[in-house]
Amino acid sequence: MLEIQDLSKNYGKNKAVDHVTFTVPDGQVGILLGPNGAGKSTIIKSIAGLLRYKGMIRIQGMPARSLEAKKVFAYVPEIPNMFDALTVREHIEYVRMAYGSDITDEEVAEILRDFEMEDKQDKLGNELSKGMMQKVSICCALAVKPKVILLDEPMVGLDPAAIRMLKEVVLELRSRGVTVLISTHMLEMVEDLWDVMFVMEKGHIKASHTKADAEGRDLDELFFAVTGGENE
Amino acid sequence: MKALIYLTKRSLVNNLKRACRKPLTLVLLIFGIAYGIFVVAMLGTLALTIHIDSPKGLLAVLIIWSIYGFLGNFMSYSSRKGILFRPAHAHFVFPSPVSPKLVLLEAAWMNYVMSVCIWLVIGIGAFTVFGIHPVKAVLVVLFGLVIELAFEIAVMVFLYTNDRLPERMMKGIRWAIRIFMAAFALAVVLYFRINGLSIESAWALVDLPALQMIPVMGWQIAAYRLILFGPTALNVSCTVLYLAVVCVSTAAAVRMKCDGGYYEEAAKFADDYAELKKRQKSGEMVWSMNEKKRSFRRVRERITGKGAKAVFHRQMLEYRKEKFFFLDKLTLISLFIAVCFSFGFGKDAVGSSEAPLVLLGVVAYVSFCMSGYLGKWETELKNPYIFMIPDTPLRKMWYATLTEHIKAVVNGAVICLPIGLYWRVPVWKIIFCILIYVVIQANRLYTMVITQYLVGETFGKTGQNIIRMCIQMMLLGAGVGVAALAAVFINMDLIFPIVLIYSVIVTVATGVAASFRFEMMEQL
Repeated sequence: MLEIQDLSKNYGKNKAVDHVTFTVPDGQVGILLGPNGAGKSTIIKSIAGLLRYKGMIRIQGMPARSLEAKKVFAYVPEIPNMFDALTVREHIEYVRMAYGSDITDEEVAEILRDFEMEDKQDKLGNELSKGMMQKVSICCALAVKPKVILLDEPMVGLDPAAIRMLKEVVLELRSRGVTVLISTHMLEMVEDLWDVMFVMEKGHIKASHTKADAEGRDLDELFFAVTGGENE
Repeated sequence: MKALIYLTKRSLVNNLKRACRKPLTLVLLIFGIAYGIFVVAMLGTLALTIHIDSPKGLLAVLIIWSIYGFLGNFMSYSSRKGILFRPAHAHFVFPSPVSPKLVLLEAAWMNYVMSVCIWLVIGIGAFTVFGIHPVKAVLVVLFGLVIELAFEIAVMVFLYTNDRLPERMMKGIRWAIRIFMAAFALAVVLYFRINGLSIESAWALVDLPALQMIPVMGWQIAAYRLILFGPTALNVSCTVLYLAVVCVSTAAAVRMKCDGGYYEEAAKFADDYAELKKRQKSGEMVWSMNEKKRSFRRVRERITGKGAKAVFHRQMLEYRKEKFFFLDKLTLISLFIAVCFSFGFGKDAVGSSEAPLVLLGVVAYVSFCMSGYLGKWETELKNPYIFMIPDTPLRKMWYATLTEHIKAVVNGAVICLPIGLYWRVPVWKIIFCILIYVVIQANRLYTMVITQYLVGETFGKTGQNIIRMCIQMMLLGAGVGVAALAAVFINMDLIFPIVLIYSVIVTVATGVAASFRFEMMEQL
């Protein structure tokens, strides 16, 4: 479970996130939506421990900054940044060591095969294209065997096959009881995935819906009903 | 920690492998090391020449190191900019379940390596140049490597992980340190003005008891005095105080709680540093990280020119929006160089017959110094639109680089006019010097285009610059040779027109050849 309680973050005098509270229960996929500048990235970075904030973030009931919480948490940032001099395989190896993950070599091979990265294992970080980096980033996050996973615009730069695979992976994680939070602008891509959605605007959660209370309305409709934009 | 060690070890091994595959990197590395050894040897020779090759000389070096090293470290660590993090740290390391304190200690490994190198050099210098007994030299190195480094690490951990001290207070402390450093430098200058610049007055300054009483830094100096000159009541008590400070701060650093609050600044610093490296790699002159968002003037003007000319007009519009139009930091540097040369040569150059030639030499020197500067025009080649403009490659190149030529006229005038007028160089020779400066800059620019066209990114920016310099020297060298001969055998004044005319011819030819680069985005 991922709990955000009364989260606030200021950049100087600018309130990026203002008293935000929401929860993504175990085994559910949450979607964080909002126009540019709504504060999504600030929330995501706060959850990932990259920002100071006021309020409380809990991962599986533990404070997000604690090492215990970090052990069960994986993060796929919007822009992947590889270590230039580390190969794909070494990135995964590092993750395995840092998280003390019990993932086996066979499982790593399977993940790499799923994302068509098997033949790129010995490529260095600076030899990868943006799309490949994104794949490595996802593979590393999966190598953690997380209980909570955070995906920030995960589909950007991915080819259609990888997008399809990622969707399958998200559904599989959900079926295994993993909590997933996805921040994205690509509404149609996550239409089949979500259980709960949050719409942000100007640092606040303006609306949240579960699949059940959405009564068949799609994400597009729900989003534009809140933000007042045009539903194309 | 094991994971972090793995990270560093694999990065080092892979970098080494890559360096071996790219011999140029190895050559540059060897050249860099050789240059470093050369500089250290020169410093040693300098110490011998100015007669500070004694234990007191070493103490003077250690005093400067103690004061400026400690305060410099404090400044960078307190603003959380002293350790090089990469964007990959923010992606893979900061969110991982590794203690933020360990992340900090591991990321600072480059700082430790630097410290080890510096202390080894000091150690070798101590008994080869400064005549220190080997045992004492070893003690100095050990003290620096163990005690001082432990203190530095403790200060680093304390300042990075302490979220309780308000940022405003830290800012105040940083300003106080800046003022202290400037005041200290000023006090030293004033001291030498009053007491005269001599070895005796320098030694008297080094021996000032007040120096050892400055908290922390002074106590550190006292410890070095204790090692080098034996015990006195003052240096022993100050050393004890220093060791106590080191113990307390180390204990505080170990006990301090840290949940990774510093990751926010570290991630930002990593992004800023990556951006800086990217801009430097593309040949931009970047002065500092965290440059504030630039503000532009409002200009209501439409771009008028058609075809390739529109590129020139667009660049001019961009410059009009700049606060100081064409004048930038390069102009300031040019002015600084001009002032230095004008007054540096003193009255000897004023009205002398060699002054015009020296001015020409200054022009050549500045052109060499500024050879890394590329300017706005180079970004044109990175945009595909320039290749799509329906115009000839020659016109595209001319209009894409025209503003650089105009800027060169401005900078050339800024350099040559103050020096030339102060030295009373005939006006026509000053004008020739300005024109020669402009042509050399144009030649540099076109030669760079040709070099990029020929070698692409194979050798990196440094390699490109070296090749460009070789080509430029070959092209312009002949003209300089002819001019020198004409000056010796016919008339000294012939140098100016010969150099200018020859350079113009060569530069036009180079420009025509370089225009092929504007034909197609894909290069050789």
